[in-house]
Amino acid sequence: MSETGPENQPDEAMIDLLVKQVTEGLSPEEQRALDILDSAVASEYSRDLERAAAAITLAASTSPLESLPAALKARLEEQAQDFVAHRRPVELVSDREIARPKPPTDTRTGAAGWYAAAACLLLALFAWLRSPPPAKPVAQAPQATQAPAAPVVSTPPAPPTPAEERAALLAQAGSIKVQLTPTKDPAAAGVTGDVVWDPVTQRGFLHFVGLKPNDPRLQQYQTWIFDGGRDKRYPVDGGIFDVPADSSEVIVPIHAAVPVRLAKAFAVTVENPGGVVVSAQHHVVALGAAS
Amino acid sequence: MNPSVLQRIANGDSNAVRECIDQYGALVWSLARRLSRTAADAQDATQDIFLQIWRSAARFDESKGSEKVFIAMIARRRLIDRLRKSAAEPPMDSSDEVLESVAWSDPGSGSTADTSIEVAQAMQALAELRPDQRQVLELGLLQGLTQSEIARRLGMPLGTVKSCMRRGLIRVRECMRVGAKQISGRSDV
Repeated sequence: MSETGPENQPDEAMIDLLVKQVTEGLSPEEQRALDILDSAVASEYSRDLERAAAAITLAASTSPLESLPAALKARLEEQAQDFVAHRRPVELVSDREIARPKPPTDTRTGAAGWYAAAACLLLALFAWLRSPPPAKPVAQAPQATQAPAAPVVSTPPAPPTPAEERAALLAQAGSIKVQLTPTKDPAAAGVTGDVVWDPVTQRGFLHFVGLKPNDPRLQQYQTWIFDGGRDKRYPVDGGIFDVPADSSEVIVPIHAAVPVRLAKAFAVTVENPGGVVVSAQHHVVALGAAS
Repeated sequence: MNPSVLQRIANGDSNAVRECIDQYGALVWSLARRLSRTAADAQDATQDIFLQIWRSAARFDESKGSEKVFIAMIARRRLIDRLRKSAAEPPMDSSDEVLESVAWSDPGSGSTADTSIEVAQAMQALAELRPDQRQVLELGLLQGLTQSEIARRLGMPLGTVKSCMRRGLIRVRECMRVGAKQISGRSDV
């Protein structure tokens, strides 16, 4: 547990926002207000409140735990297998030492222009989003899409690098390559990038040159896949990643949280550590639409 | 001491990823059921939460709390995000249903009994709260109602709800911090 003393207590307005954040979430306006007030003290206080809320949830629940439905458990086990099969490249990227970015002293400067630019890009790229959502949610697809399990061998070969895996995927019939367009976000200045995605195996890679290094304790990049078969408001989480300080080029595997039926577009945002379920799209750094 | 399942995941133990489902599946699923609008939402949320748990395994620090509380933190964060972004009605519409659900267990008799010190501290702190503070916390944390919704359901001014929520949560937080310092002090001796 942290050691913040009373002298480091956030003020009452901030506490109200932090309490609301951990109990019901904040509106975009409230989140922006908290971002302005945010500090190490607030972060620590927020973690403590979150921990308290979780402990209360466990302590106060009167109903017995429900067993996982068999079908859901089977899906989770498939997801676990996929996670194990593909996590190594992510760790190779994420585990490097990350430099602390400059303090966000000018986050408000030019925000309107940035939002406008992002909005224009979103409009241009995602015209299809204006169409009505699908009548029914897409059922969990059967797993012809699952990557084959690795054979058990006594002396496994060295795992391929992300670059080798991306090249192999690109050479694979049916895979697509989508060019990413940087926004006016400072993290995206001078960035070039693309996505390689294979709809059959549900595997893909982001490739960026020049993306600004991040401090994972403060922010992380998150990938999103806009699925034509899903509700347009909720792009599929493609995983979080970091850009090490010493890297001008990164190749990052995409891990779709759920099966993607038809990848229509890809986006990369900057989010709080650990990522979010639904991005507020306040901090989009790159977008790309599949042709 | 044997490494926890999250520590094993962080260390690359493939079996631990599946064991995590066995160990915490019921907990995550139960939380998802409670804080999701539909069973389908809860299923999607459970998959989403486990992915996040596995990805976050390296962040777990047992010196800062129990694994179960860490898992519940991640689950709650994801579920709140989903509820917030869905712009939907709360999971329960009937005032009667909500109010009937406000049946706090006698601290120590909870059916999700957890032996972790943090949960015991939370139980103790809850027992010392005023009934209205406990009720507001329960509706907010267990039923997923917003402060405005709680105010409407209980016929309380919004300011009172905010105050109850803030004081209750802070009281529990303080108890947990004091407990942690005592434990830390004993282990330092």
